[in-house]
Amino acid sequence: MSNSKRLHPIAAVTNFFKQLKELIVPFIAFFVFGTKASEGDLWFFMGSFAVVILVLGIGVLNWLRFSYRLEEGELRMEYGLLVRKKRYIPFDRIQSLDFSEGILHRPFGLVKVKVETAGPSGAADAEAVLTAISKEEANRIQDIIAQAKGKLVEDALDTEVERLEERAEEKVIYQISSKELLVLATTSGGVGVVLSAMVAFLSQLDDLIPYESAYREVERVVSNGIIIVSVLVFIGFLLAWVVALIGTMVKFAQFTVKKTEREIIISRGLLEKRQITIPLNRIQAVRISENILRQPFGLCSVYLISAGGSVRNTEGSKMLLLPAVKKAQVAHILQEHLPILATTQPFNKPPKRSLPRYLIRGALMVIPLVIAAIAIFKLWGLLSIMLFLFSSGWSFVIYKDAGWSIEGQQLNIQYRGFIKHTLFMKKNNVQSVSYKESFFQRRKNLATMTSLIKSGMGAIGGTIVDIEKEDAREIYHWYSHSQKAPF
Amino acid sequence: MNEPQKRISDKALSVWRITGAMTSVMIMVMAGGVIWLSNVFSWPAWVVIAAVAAIILHVYLYVYLFPLLRWKRWRYEVREQEIELQQGVFVVRRTLVPMIRVQHVDTRQGPLLKKYGLATVDVSTAATVHEIPALPMEEAEELRQFISRLARVADEDV
Repeated sequence: MSNSKRLHPIAAVTNFFKQLKELIVPFIAFFVFGTKASEGDLWFFMGSFAVVILVLGIGVLNWLRFSYRLEEGELRMEYGLLVRKKRYIPFDRIQSLDFSEGILHRPFGLVKVKVETAGPSGAADAEAVLTAISKEEANRIQDIIAQAKGKLVEDALDTEVERLEERAEEKVIYQISSKELLVLATTSGGVGVVLSAMVAFLSQLDDLIPYESAYREVERVVSNGIIIVSVLVFIGFLLAWVVALIGTMVKFAQFTVKKTEREIIISRGLLEKRQITIPLNRIQAVRISENILRQPFGLCSVYLISAGGSVRNTEGSKMLLLPAVKKAQVAHILQEHLPILATTQPFNKPPKRSLPRYLIRGALMVIPLVIAAIAIFKLWGLLSIMLFLFSSGWSFVIYKDAGWSIEGQQLNIQYRGFIKHTLFMKKNNVQSVSYKESFFQRRKNLATMTSLIKSGMGAIGGTIVDIEKEDAREIYHWYSHSQKAPF
Repeated sequence: MNEPQKRISDKALSVWRITGAMTSVMIMVMAGGVIWLSNVFSWPAWVVIAAVAAIILHVYLYVYLFPLLRWKRWRYEVREQEIELQQGVFVVRRTLVPMIRVQHVDTRQGPLLKKYGLATVDVSTAATVHEIPALPMEEAEELRQFISRLARVADEDV
């Protein structure tokens, strides 16, 4: 079909930077802890220079040794510096191609292509990567693979018209508006990450910044007034928040969801463009998540739980489909585009008599803290009893948010840890269902249900605790494939 | 309540008792150490009493009570369309695994199980593994073949 090809030379550069990035932590550690003695400095710099040259050399050699070709219905790759590796992936094992463009890719019109395969479960390399190839080449590969797969389907269906239609159709389901982008960025939890990164960075610079004299300076400022300090702290927070804000906005700009006959395509990003393809038949469940910041505004994020992804790459298993939308609009946006319906019809709730159990569970979490506080702070530790108020309030919220419903072939479960999740899943995708009943639950006619679905290499589950025993049995019956009633 | 029908082998009881006894021996060694130390440093008498109580309690729970409860509770049933398991000591758990979700079945056997002619069957789906412990070897083998035959019929993606 084609001769063997090399990646674009930029691949060598990106590899180089990637390796360098991995080296940066040991470098800093070495830099901070290793060079107290000044006579070591020359050796240190020469050594690090040599390492950088070595890494660059390896990057270039790796690039030279990497070749790929498309032949006999397979994507064939050969690579490896010391150990020569050949990897042949049949087209019909390829689940999807994900394109992304980094900053280095964009000036040259290149893309990074990630090939997702339905590899054996548990295999660490269920995916292959072409680090940098031209866009035309990427599109060509995609077409060849789509054609090869289309032919397979065609053989099965024996209709050509269908195929033509299908190739033409690509519908935009959702596009982020600038208002939504702003809301998303302001309510994202990135601030904490930026703050901790700043703290970590400052503590790394111990040797460079003359902290001692800086502290003396600070002392003077503090004596000048607490207000200035609090203003400074506030400015610090504000700065961190703005950085996080911009980061999120750059990451999620131009967030677009498209749909073809068999796939969902998500693309996003301003500097680094990413495109992720999810075959519809790999979708295991749809999850709506509402965090505490967004819930008051009626906002939520929608995720697709997919069977894709590998051990290394968990990103492939939970895909952000809608970053921040009004919950009331989810059903409207998704309509019938997905095999799973995300309707928000009323859920069945746990009965009133299970509320005490929720409260006790919450209190049990706090008891060790309270005991420790009283043991350490004596009388003042008694203040920690206030924690029970907090735990009760939170448990009540958890109780309020628990719920389930069955709509035909679909089971919907709503539960909260810190974030409130609503999980929508088809009976066919549920891997197993468990019914649990403890001694105390039995006395109150309550039970716990867990249903597990595949997510990447592992399982994620929706559990609802302390629902009516009859309800739990109903779910169990619904899932049972046998005629005979299990209870 | 309509429980799954089949029980696991009653030899499982012996196996579990032996493994329980092995952990008990470790507790005994630790408790023995405490008693010796309390003798050397002349700690108060209640330390010795507590250590002895811990040994007795552990033996009672892990050699007698838990294996018995566990065995009594353990039931399974393999039907054409699904596998149903029931297990638990204080919390009863019942699990349904549809045949179409089963990907493969393994049997495994440690030295202890081998001595009693038993084997454990692991039923794997794409995301989960379910264990049926301590079945007689022939039964485990039969079960493995039966499940894999049924699972092959119900072939579907993921």
